Amino acid sequence: MQANPGTPAPPAKPRPVVNPWSRPFWEGTRQGKLLIQKCGACGHHVFYPRLSCPDCFAEDLAWVQSSGRGTVYSHTVVMSNAPSAFAADVPYVVAVIRLDEGVQMLSNVVDCDPEHLACDMPVEVVFEKLDDEFTLPKFRPVRP
Amino acid sequence: MSKSRGRSAIVGIGEVPTGRFPETSAIAFAVESARQAILDAGIGKDDIDVVIPTGSLFSNQFSNELATCRLVEELGLRNVRRNFQVFSGGSSSSNALQVAGAMIAAGEASHVLFVHTDKLGTGVTAQGGIDLFSTAGISAEWEVPFGQHYSTVAALATTRYKHETGCTDEMLSAVCVSNRKWAELNPHAFFRKPLTIDEVMASKMLATPLRAKQSNMLFDGGGAFVVTSAERARDLTDKPAFVLGEGGAVTHFAYSQEPDLTRFGWAQAARQAFEQAGVTPADIDVAEIYDSYPIYQIIGLEECGLYPRGEAGPAVLRGDTWPDGRLPTTTDGGMLSKGHIGAGGSVSLMIEAARQVMGKAGGRQVPNCRFAIETATGGTYMDAQVTILGNEIP
Repeated sequence: MQANPGTPAPPAKPRPVVNPWSRPFWEGTRQGKLLIQKCGACGHHVFYPRLSCPDCFAEDLAWVQSSGRGTVYSHTVVMSNAPSAFAADVPYVVAVIRLDEGVQMLSNVVDCDPEHLACDMPVEVVFEKLDDEFTLPKFRPVRP
Repeated sequence: MSKSRGRSAIVGIGEVPTGRFPETSAIAFAVESARQAILDAGIGKDDIDVVIPTGSLFSNQFSNELATCRLVEELGLRNVRRNFQVFSGGSSSSNALQVAGAMIAAGEASHVLFVHTDKLGTGVTAQGGIDLFSTAGISAEWEVPFGQHYSTVAALATTRYKHETGCTDEMLSAVCVSNRKWAELNPHAFFRKPLTIDEVMASKMLATPLRAKQSNMLFDGGGAFVVTSAERARDLTDKPAFVLGEGGAVTHFAYSQEPDLTRFGWAQAARQAFEQAGVTPADIDVAEIYDSYPIYQIIGLEECGLYPRGEAGPAVLRGDTWPDGRLPTTTDGGMLSKGHIGAGGSVSLMIEAARQVMGKAGGRQVPNCRFAIETATGGTYMDAQVTILGNEIP
């Protein structure tokens, strides 16, 4: 969707609207850990956090620490017409990350020249504090 | 033969032009469209016994008015047994058509009126539209905080699809040109001036590789259709739009959870629809493919079996989908040129599919059009809905 010029002052960044069962995830990012779930019944890794396993429906989900490593499944650099809260961040990168554990998550790729962004490039997690309550997991290229 | 094949038909269509009408209320678009559809069907208003308005995105209050029977009263419909919303964003028309057909087949309805109206062109500001679509249908916990919005959603599919198939920016831009050529023929379309690939490629970059002229824009508008049984349809007209096949696949809510951003659920949905309809992709005369961004039209053409993987882009570039082309596609100009009206994006395409098989498309009528395929999807391409209409039952 496209915008016209003359946008109002940017609102504060949107904060995650948290489900009760994903509180450990956000507690983890505050401590610099990327936590995902693993099903004790079928062994699948699960992200985003669920009340029961989306594969086998078992409730036996445990928190495990992700390696924080993965690859960029797809990416885009936002150049204009961003949502109000992100207008000041342009250009910024939005990407779908495939973690080595086999789950996907949306994030931003940081510390990366947009020219060097590529599908399937290896990345690793970094943590960016949003405010006292929330720290967002973001990703940067793995340095060789 | 599938027991669902041809059990119901669209017999009347109505539509107001897409545009910016700040002085006109949303209910006016609904009333005008609904009235046209009832008259087009050749039935009396009091034949309508079920009314299905879908949701309007610009105003929750107005949407609630539709849910609470405003349209029934405004139109003076006196024999309505049920009025309820069917809303799944951009796939609302497909889901409503299936609900209507099922109710008719079960003897629970005789003439179902489906109506859409929205005011996204003047009912919200341009930035308000961007902000609405940075939250509507996007996970508030897992995606909104990272600046996801509908440009990035489309761009992520485009980037990966280009990576896997070698599709070029010229091919993606050719989708916009193709749809514009059809819009030039459609008096209800907003953008009707000729467009070139160079103009698309020179337009402002929104989110790489997606450019401004590869993005839909939001407008006001509305549309309606009347569904009845096949038997009743034959009494009313020589050329009803029989509902031959319907397939669907729900794949995700959060866009990042979609396992394949270059395919989605179209192949599964299309297989179901073709099997039910008893036709094959080679029988299709016109394709009304969901086109909020060019990538989705290309993926839709391929995954529905109309082109092999990687070959829809070159086909659009060489003019296959244009007027007089081999496979006329998105013949009302689509969301890219007729204009995006919320859930109405694919209401328009459903109406156009019916219009073509009913032989009512005027200056853009595809000659000898018997079978049409229509695709629709809601949210961040959360589902794949495929409908096949025809003016005969194979």
